[in-house]
Amino acid sequence: MSSSTAKCPYSGTQAAGTAAAVPVPQPLRSPGGVSEAPVAHWLDVEGLAADPYAAYARLRAESPVAWVPKLNKFLVTSYGGCHGIEQDQETFSANVSGSTMNRAIGAQPMLRKDDPEHAIDRAPINPVLRPKSIKEAWAPVFARNAETYLDALEDKGPGHADLNTDYAAPLASKNLIDLLGLLDADVDQVRRWSHDFIAGMGNVLDDPGIWARCDASTADADALLAELIPFYRKNPDASLVSALANSGLPVEDVAANTKLAISGGLNEPQHMVTNMVWALSRHPAQREAVLADPALWAAAFDETVRWQSPIGMYPRQATRDTVLEGVAIPAGAGIGVVVASANRDQSWFGPGAEDFDIHRPKRPHLAFGAGVHLCAGHWAAKSAIGQIAVPKAYERFGSLRVDEQRAESWGGWVFRGLSSLPVTWN
Amino acid sequence: MPTITFTQPDGSEQVLQVADGTTLMRAAVSNGVDGIVGECGGQAMCATCHVYVRPEYARSLPEITEDEDEMLDCTTAARTDASRLGCQVAVGPTLGAIVVDVPADQV
Repeated sequence: MSSSTAKCPYSGTQAAGTAAAVPVPQPLRSPGGVSEAPVAHWLDVEGLAADPYAAYARLRAESPVAWVPKLNKFLVTSYGGCHGIEQDQETFSANVSGSTMNRAIGAQPMLRKDDPEHAIDRAPINPVLRPKSIKEAWAPVFARNAETYLDALEDKGPGHADLNTDYAAPLASKNLIDLLGLLDADVDQVRRWSHDFIAGMGNVLDDPGIWARCDASTADADALLAELIPFYRKNPDASLVSALANSGLPVEDVAANTKLAISGGLNEPQHMVTNMVWALSRHPAQREAVLADPALWAAAFDETVRWQSPIGMYPRQATRDTVLEGVAIPAGAGIGVVVASANRDQSWFGPGAEDFDIHRPKRPHLAFGAGVHLCAGHWAAKSAIGQIAVPKAYERFGSLRVDEQRAESWGGWVFRGLSSLPVTWN
Repeated sequence: MPTITFTQPDGSEQVLQVADGTTLMRAAVSNGVDGIVGECGGQAMCATCHVYVRPEYARSLPEITEDEDEMLDCTTAARTDASRLGCQVAVGPTLGAIVVDVPADQV
């Protein structure tokens, strides 16, 4: 066995006072106490995009497994319920019917498959995204890209800079282009693809304009991949498309999973850059603490992704009649797993669950999902954003903060983040 | 049936009888053993099913793969020569019983 000299690049200091082992939440499935699902008629679905957290708190208090007619699905908002779903892919399938994701990217990616089919797609991806590959092959690239876009931010100046537009968005796109190996793709092009794919995945009302843009971007991405797959078969490197191209997977699956990575690998790291700076700006004592002790960056990242989870909800479908948290769910029912709500569940995180606190005792959260679909890119995000993009921004501008003179803009609940974050510095 | 004994930092024990081929992680998560998270569902993509295997069982364990070795460097509680990922150790004909210590921290 090897000794413990090697060190994980992304673990920070351990929180003090966490001597107790982590208890495992158990979903309630007592056959004696099964009830019909409460119906959340009151829920203003359209209003969630402005700020969903008050509605989540009410759902958790009144009906953590609720039928929401406007969404035609159950919303599960408790930690125990969401965790229980992720531990049982035989009952709660990711292969949901009528998937807009499959329609959007023209094929079925691993996120819409269950094991064993899912594991076949995922196997070649994992080695690219484990901590060692991220640290050795990719952290230097992420650092170089951060410097490039910090220069752009600096050029804008403290009176005009927007952390999203000038830094987070182009940086996330460039990091993704490099990690995937999308040679010759440019930052704006990949941003457009990602945006169009995500719009397609959310196009539950079948807007033909959204499908047209999505189909055009799918065609563009497929054309690039048609060139890249044979190229990487002859010239393998550390990139994700290279790993997929040399995995023996059919071209259709290589393309589907690359387009999945383009969809999920851009907005979320982008939102984490702005969310971290926003959260630290509103909590100056914690900002001072992390600037004084860089080992706290890991906790700052982890607490931000819990408190303002960029992916708020994702779908599952019941494969059979079941009972979740005492509520009957029929076979075939659609389920929304609201991890952004689970991540503020007081019964799991304690009475301060709604607060941002980088010093809180560490507990598992669901911001990256859990179980076999745990975000493949979670180590990449911890490195590229938590250890590099945000710390480097504060290294460059020690007094970096939200500019209260200009308006910021939040939006979304399925995917949630800042579309604009004016920042300033001295 | 093979048995798995999980010993908590406070000394309490939980003994599980499980089917051949069951991993320590799956047994723990399915039976609500405190302190085993199993975040990635058994793909050696996290390090939240870390256990310390009692030395008398060390010789019956499978070799540590490169992937497991890499992830063991990311455990929250200190890695020792007894450290394994629970998802990479299955009980069965060659490992009919095992006793492991659950670390105080997984995340």
